[in-house]
Amino acid sequence: MPRTSKRKAAPPSSASVKSSDSLSVRPGKAGAVKAVTKEVDRIDQLFDSYANKDLGLIDPEGVETLCSDMGVQHTDVRILMLAWKLKAKKQGYFSKDEWRTGLKALKVDNLEKLKKALPTLETEVMTPPNFEDFYAYAFKYCLTEEMQKCVDVETICELLNLVLGSQFCAQVDSITEYLKFQSDYRVLTMDQWVNFYRFCHEISFPDLHNYDSDQAWPLILDSFVEWLREKRK
Amino acid sequence: MLLIRGIALYLDRTYVKQAPNVRSLWDMGLQLFRKHLSLSPEVEHKTVTGLLRMIQSERLGEAVDRTLLNHLLKMFTALGIYAESFEKPFLECTSEFYAAEGMKFMQQSDVPDYLKHVETRLHEEHERCVLYLDACTRKPLIATAEKQLLERHISAILDKGFMMLMDGHRIEDLQRMYTLFSRVNALESLRQALSSYIRRTGQGIVMDEEKDKDMVSSLLEFKASLDTIWEESYSKNDAFCNTIKDAFEHLINLRQNRPAELIAKFLDEKLRAGNKGTSEEELEGTLDKVLVLFRFIQGKDVFEAFYKKDLAKRLLLGKSASIDAEKSMISKLKTECGSQFTNKLEGMFKDIELSKEINESFKQSSQARTKLPSGIELSVHVLTTGYWPTYPPMDVRLPHELNVYQDIFKEFYLSKYSGRRLMWQNSLGHCVLKAEFPKGKKELAVSLFQTVVLMLFNDAERLSFQDIKDSTGIEDKELRRTLQSLACGKVRVLQKMPKGRDVEDDDSFVFNDVFTAPLYRIKVNAIQMKETVEENTSTTERVFQDRQYQVDAAIVRIMKTRKVLSHTLLITELFQQLKFPIKPADLKKRIESLIDREYLERDKNNPQIYNYLA
Repeated sequence: MPRTSKRKAAPPSSASVKSSDSLSVRPGKAGAVKAVTKEVDRIDQLFDSYANKDLGLIDPEGVETLCSDMGVQHTDVRILMLAWKLKAKKQGYFSKDEWRTGLKALKVDNLEKLKKALPTLETEVMTPPNFEDFYAYAFKYCLTEEMQKCVDVETICELLNLVLGSQFCAQVDSITEYLKFQSDYRVLTMDQWVNFYRFCHEISFPDLHNYDSDQAWPLILDSFVEWLREKRK
Repeated sequence: MLLIRGIALYLDRTYVKQAPNVRSLWDMGLQLFRKHLSLSPEVEHKTVTGLLRMIQSERLGEAVDRTLLNHLLKMFTALGIYAESFEKPFLECTSEFYAAEGMKFMQQSDVPDYLKHVETRLHEEHERCVLYLDACTRKPLIATAEKQLLERHISAILDKGFMMLMDGHRIEDLQRMYTLFSRVNALESLRQALSSYIRRTGQGIVMDEEKDKDMVSSLLEFKASLDTIWEESYSKNDAFCNTIKDAFEHLINLRQNRPAELIAKFLDEKLRAGNKGTSEEELEGTLDKVLVLFRFIQGKDVFEAFYKKDLAKRLLLGKSASIDAEKSMISKLKTECGSQFTNKLEGMFKDIELSKEINESFKQSSQARTKLPSGIELSVHVLTTGYWPTYPPMDVRLPHELNVYQDIFKEFYLSKYSGRRLMWQNSLGHCVLKAEFPKGKKELAVSLFQTVVLMLFNDAERLSFQDIKDSTGIEDKELRRTLQSLACGKVRVLQKMPKGRDVEDDDSFVFNDVFTAPLYRIKVNAIQMKETVEENTSTTERVFQDRQYQVDAAIVRIMKTRKVLSHTLLITELFQQLKFPIKPADLKKRIESLIDREYLERDKNNPQIYNYLA
């Protein structure tokens, strides 16, 4: 999910950084309610520091600033994971509600904590049921238009690399090579996307001995396997 | 012994009956004789071998004393040693004899002769039983003979002679084979042989692409010959009838689509005018026969598409030999496949009839009478889109007179049926032109495109290709074809400069004023676009398009009843339901499309299972 918008120099407001430095959650019976409201306040402050005031949203520019403040590339898979955790609906944007519930779930209220939370988030995502959800989310996240159901092949290739590249390097390379080679499909559906993961997960690679095209694999995988077998000869 | 009994009859009748311990004279005699015979086994042995030798020599064709045989064997029976002493060795001997003979004859003679021989042998044995053997020997004897002569050689007989008999259409021999085989329960093997024979021969007919032209008639002949064989040789055995059907269905679908197309073409040829020499009944007969082939075809939609295209041509160009025959064909198809199948075809006929009426009332209408340019008559076929095959629209700049005519008709038609849209299919039009050649008046029957070109020469003597193209606006290729038909065909109304077969860009054309022809009315054949490959593939493609919907419908139907079904089961069920050949990959494609459109989903836990989404 490449963002093309140019990064604008928008230094984080010193106030927010300061406040996050000086405050920490103090657990205590009396302070509990207060602490919660304060936490919400801090989360909101953090939100406001990146938000586009006119839209009331963190827009792509804000996201990029956030990324650079955390010291990660905006194309990093962890940002996608953050979006997943925040249940962000629209690519490149975070709404206030998404931000609040997401950061609360992450138990962070300032930039430093957010930065530190990223590795934990990564482990969370990598646990099986979460990963499948995340994987499907990645596809949906790419549906930017209303009523859009398919994602074009180039984006799919990048996305595959991003989300599966570390686990299934060989498969992803093969699949992307095939996707770029073939001319039958210009866009892919959710079903095909989900089955790519199933394929990587279930099929022994590169020998493919347990692949059976009589099973319910989508046609694109049948042709991919055929192409692969043909190439091997 | 009879004599003794005769002499002592009185004794036998009075004394023996009263004394319970004494046997009758007859019995006593028999007993005594048996006792003596058993005392000297070599006598018994000699008799039996003697008997056997006699029978054997009879089998070899020598005449023997049958009465003697008869008496001796009666004696054996009377003594009660028939079964023991004679029957067993006799059957053994028979078995040996026929085993040897069967082997020898199978090698020496060909199958029909062998079968004939077997038949006579069996007949002889039967007679033997009647003449001198005991009645109860008949069954085992015949069985032995059958076993040795037939059962052991079934496959050899089939391998060696079946093809030949079928090819030679030897009904009698085949019938003999059938009856003999039915005696030894070998009909199953015969049936299989028949099935593989049909498949092999049929494959030869169907797969030979070079003989596509004759395929349908060869198939018809083949089927007819099989039918007579079935009737006369196989006594109309049901199992055999099914075998023939199955084999035919198999072979006709060996090649996808092509046979269906060829059958449609074959019918077109039969139904087209100019197919003289066949009477109505003959035509009906042919249609019926073709329908039998049609029944076997799985891709009926392919047939429909091609049939429709040809039917359209026949109807529009008035080339149909007889409307009655056409209608009877349609009604045959209707009984075969239901009204849905023929709906559109019938619609086409309706259109033609309606058009006639419209033309009539158009001629009567005031618009027509007042406004029409004189000297032209127009008849229009109004065709319902959807019923007819689609034709690519072709542009042409019509001469003014014709344009006016079209507009008036349009006005008339739309005033009658408002809200409709008329589209002129210029490529289908045809005209009759009056032409005055210096050497005489002629009437030319030409296509609309030809007309447009010819009418240019009303005002000009000589025109270049480019001129004609500019003023008619006919598409390049079509125009070349048109000009070719006018200047290079049999009837040369125009002259091409320079001469040559093909129309080049810088050719020019001159009105042919030395044109002569023996007839008054001349048909200038348009050079038919020879059923181009594109046209053919487009028809096939359309068929596949239609099939997609059928597949979709079938998937949804199945899933709607099952709700949850595994991929494999769904595919199997689809293959059962769909009447046309289809690849699993195509099915997958449709399933995926339905998933995409949210009719189905893959089960979350088991991706091999589909759920129906209501």
